[in-house]
Amino acid sequence: MIKNYIKTGWRNITKNKGIFSINIAGLAIGIASCLLIMLYVSDELSYDRFHEKADRIVRVVFRANVNGEEMKEAVVMAPVAQVLKNDLPEVTQSTRLAKSYNNRIEYNGAYYGQSSLAYVDPNFFEVFTLPIIQGAKTEPLDKPNTVVISKSFAENTFGNTDPIGKMLKVTNRDENLLVTGVMEDMPKNSHFHFDLLVSTLGYAQAKKTSWMESDFFTFLVLKKGADIDVVESKLPAISEKYMGPQLKEALGMTFTEFTKENEIGLFLQPLTDIHLHSDFSDSTTLEQGGDIKYVYIFSAVAIFMLVIACINFMNLATASASKRAKEVGIRKVLGSNKKQLIYQFLAESFISTFLAAFLAIILVSMSLPIFNQLAGKDLNFQYLLSPEVILAIFSLILIIGFIAGGYPAFYLSSFNPLSALKSKFSGSGKNSGIRSGLVIFQFVISAGLILSTLVVKEQMNFIQNKELGYEKDQLLVVRNSYLLGNNEDNFIDEIKNNPLVENVTHSAFVPAGESDNEVGGIFKNNEFQRRMSFYNVDENYIPTMGMEVLEGRNFSEDFGAESDKVILNQKAVEILGFKKNPIEKSFQRDTHDGLKTMTIIGVIKNFNFKSLHQEIEPLILKYNPYGGIIIRSKVADMSGLIENLNGRWNAYNVKEGFDYSVLDDSYNHTYLKERKMGTILSLFAILTIIVACLGLFGLVTFTAEQRFKEIGIRKVLGSSASQIVALLSKDFLKLVGISFLIAFPLSYYLMNKWLQDFAYRTEIHWWLYLLAAGITIGIAFLTISIKSYKAASVNPIKSLKTE
Amino acid sequence: MLKLNHIYKWVKSGGRRIFLLNDLSLNVEQGEFLSIMGPSGSGKSTLLNVIAMLDDFDEGEYYFEDEAIHNLKSKKRTDIFNQNIGFIFQAYHLLDDLTVYENIETPLLYKKVKSSERKALVADILDRFNIVGKKDLFPHQLSGGQQQLVGIARALIIKPKLILADEPTGNLNSKQSDEIMQLFKELNQEGVTIIQASHSESNAAYGSRIINLLDGSVQKS
Repeated sequence: MIKNYIKTGWRNITKNKGIFSINIAGLAIGIASCLLIMLYVSDELSYDRFHEKADRIVRVVFRANVNGEEMKEAVVMAPVAQVLKNDLPEVTQSTRLAKSYNNRIEYNGAYYGQSSLAYVDPNFFEVFTLPIIQGAKTEPLDKPNTVVISKSFAENTFGNTDPIGKMLKVTNRDENLLVTGVMEDMPKNSHFHFDLLVSTLGYAQAKKTSWMESDFFTFLVLKKGADIDVVESKLPAISEKYMGPQLKEALGMTFTEFTKENEIGLFLQPLTDIHLHSDFSDSTTLEQGGDIKYVYIFSAVAIFMLVIACINFMNLATASASKRAKEVGIRKVLGSNKKQLIYQFLAESFISTFLAAFLAIILVSMSLPIFNQLAGKDLNFQYLLSPEVILAIFSLILIIGFIAGGYPAFYLSSFNPLSALKSKFSGSGKNSGIRSGLVIFQFVISAGLILSTLVVKEQMNFIQNKELGYEKDQLLVVRNSYLLGNNEDNFIDEIKNNPLVENVTHSAFVPAGESDNEVGGIFKNNEFQRRMSFYNVDENYIPTMGMEVLEGRNFSEDFGAESDKVILNQKAVEILGFKKNPIEKSFQRDTHDGLKTMTIIGVIKNFNFKSLHQEIEPLILKYNPYGGIIIRSKVADMSGLIENLNGRWNAYNVKEGFDYSVLDDSYNHTYLKERKMGTILSLFAILTIIVACLGLFGLVTFTAEQRFKEIGIRKVLGSSASQIVALLSKDFLKLVGISFLIAFPLSYYLMNKWLQDFAYRTEIHWWLYLLAAGITIGIAFLTISIKSYKAASVNPIKSLKTE
Repeated sequence: MLKLNHIYKWVKSGGRRIFLLNDLSLNVEQGEFLSIMGPSGSGKSTLLNVIAMLDDFDEGEYYFEDEAIHNLKSKKRTDIFNQNIGFIFQAYHLLDDLTVYENIETPLLYKKVKSSERKALVADILDRFNIVGKKDLFPHQLSGGQQQLVGIARALIIKPKLILADEPTGNLNSKQSDEIMQLFKELNQEGVTIIQASHSESNAAYGSRIINLLDGSVQKS
């Protein structure tokens, strides 16, 4: 019997090749999209789960709101790890990690610049599952100045020789490190990646007892079954006990007094939440993470794609019901019961679904490299071939087959045999109502996705063209100019005289991309105000960056020593309450040698020195040239300049090559996540409308067939082809129109929420709706008119003769 | 074999009942070959459909081999129909996508007959109807007469006690219809009860009994 179901199913499919291809193509695109997104989502959700203790590891984080400054930091103070382990019975282990920047690693005279290095506590390998493949398996870092290196770093540096026992040199800190172990490279889906893990035993910062400075990523392993909320609820008391005395000393306030008006505290974050649920400031983030919102968005898109493809299937099947009605009648008279007919129709649906799934897998394997590029992922097709996934795909096929084929199956099999045989039945009435509803649903999704994509694009444009308060184009950043040592000043002088260069400044503070960071406490009349960010710059910083001095003056060599002078941005002026005549006013800043008075010499216009997700914060520019070089080019094409600088750099015989970044690129990189999301979204928006239009095409085909005779009669009566096209298109376009009424408010609501993530954002302009509607209607109309024009141009004699 | 007592069937049109079957009573004995005659719209097809239990009636009693059909649920009726009755249509109603062989086999599939038995039964009937050579053809490759032969073969395959034929030769020329009628006669002689609706006197004459319908009632027996 099953053989028979399959046989008849196959015959039916091959007889209706057109409809069948539409079904298969739509379903295949739907399933392929769904699989791709499944790969993406499961990768996003898999972060840090490979650690054996993943479900028990938590990260201690710091959140505070002090005098209007909001702090969200993923790092905490050095002593926290030990204290929590000692004071909380639920904590079985605690370990720390401190990222180190600008590392120059030397081995045998060769440099391995910009290697990723972190200091970790000796028990790091007990907490995290990072297999050691060579050297000491246990406690490889139990002595000062020992290092565990990654497999790929070992291969790069040592080639085939055994790295264990070799010495590496960190030249910029004059540290010598003994290699005691080689670990597997950290998996892609880890929230941190380091090539070198150095023991904290020789690391001065690690011994600090201050509760006022945060440097360490701190991880706890909780007892099995311990409730994270319960543990977290004990943290305020710990903060008070340990932070309190130091706070009192620094600010002259007790912890209770301080927390009356301010919020400050430690919190716990599960390890597995770090990748998708982090909102910590960029400077305390190890790597740009994902976003749970995008996981939701894409999952929804995946489901929608499938549903839309299934709807095509259902619609085409019920629309063709009139064709199948006679068959149902005959079969019923021949003794088939309802169940057997349902099986038969389901069999057809399953054949299509299987074929579509097969095609989908081919599609996925072909498109995966492109998708990886768009999504910035390294998803592996092999994953799709693992037994669980195959089982999942298999059940997905069954579910899709059932959903897509189920409704038509039950619907068709319920025909009364007599009326079916008399072909009383036509594909209209209640059923076409459901069909219209489904078409509307498809276009709600399509139009909604198109509008959402346009909003994302608009926001990306907004980001690109936003007045930032500085000119981000034609800026070249050389962060590691300190490598030149004594020749740095000569190099800068050379750049100054380069005809391609407009201006150059000596600073390591860059408003986009990797930058130095300085935050310090600000006092007014010796009373603590709040912490503010500092930029250490020279007199060329403001002109080079293209910033605007609103009041007062820039730093200048003419005035001699400028180290106690500062330039504030408008926000800082406002917060310090210097609105009127800020120039020559002074305040104090916290330094290692106590409070130091600073005098305001100028005010610059606010500029976005953090991402547009955040409001502009108060900023203080102080005269302290050090660090890297920022160069403003005279011409947009900087390749000549780069070539030139590279040559000069090499002339100084630096062992490491010339390294630079283009500020505009770094700026764009800040919004990589959003940009990727936009790209993926637009890809699926396009696919969605393609699939929806495939369905529409099928439906128009049926309508044209059903109204074949009517079209003939109308043509004989003198109707023109375009009138016929209008006749056939009208009803469908009406449905598309109705779908806008649902799609746009929905999309507005969701995209508005998305935009809330940006402190600086575009509006959803009225013309975006028009554009989305235009695109959708345009594509739909094109689809419909192709088919209906064909129907309209048939010679009427043909259609009337069939009677 | 079957007994219809005072059957009424009507449709409502503008508040008025239009009777399709009007106080119709009929007895059919085992082994009869009954021809129902009457003009278009006299209720021939409706009567056949009612007998086949494909259609309901509004009033009256219907006994099929002592089963009170009017009291049965539709599922049970369908069962009785499937077990006992073969239906032959004027328009043949073969399944276009299936070959001759498969068309004939289909009722057996629905009765869940085993594969080997199915093969034997279909082979027998193909042989008997002399259409072995056509078994792999599709309906549209056959002439009308041949299609109706397949239709009859398909109706007979379940070995029904009763064959209902609604104008079985209506779409055929006279030579073809004679052949079909001859076949019916042979089947009847083998013991199959046949009820056919027909327009044509000559075809009706093959029957052992003729009734005439007019406006849903039996005119004379």
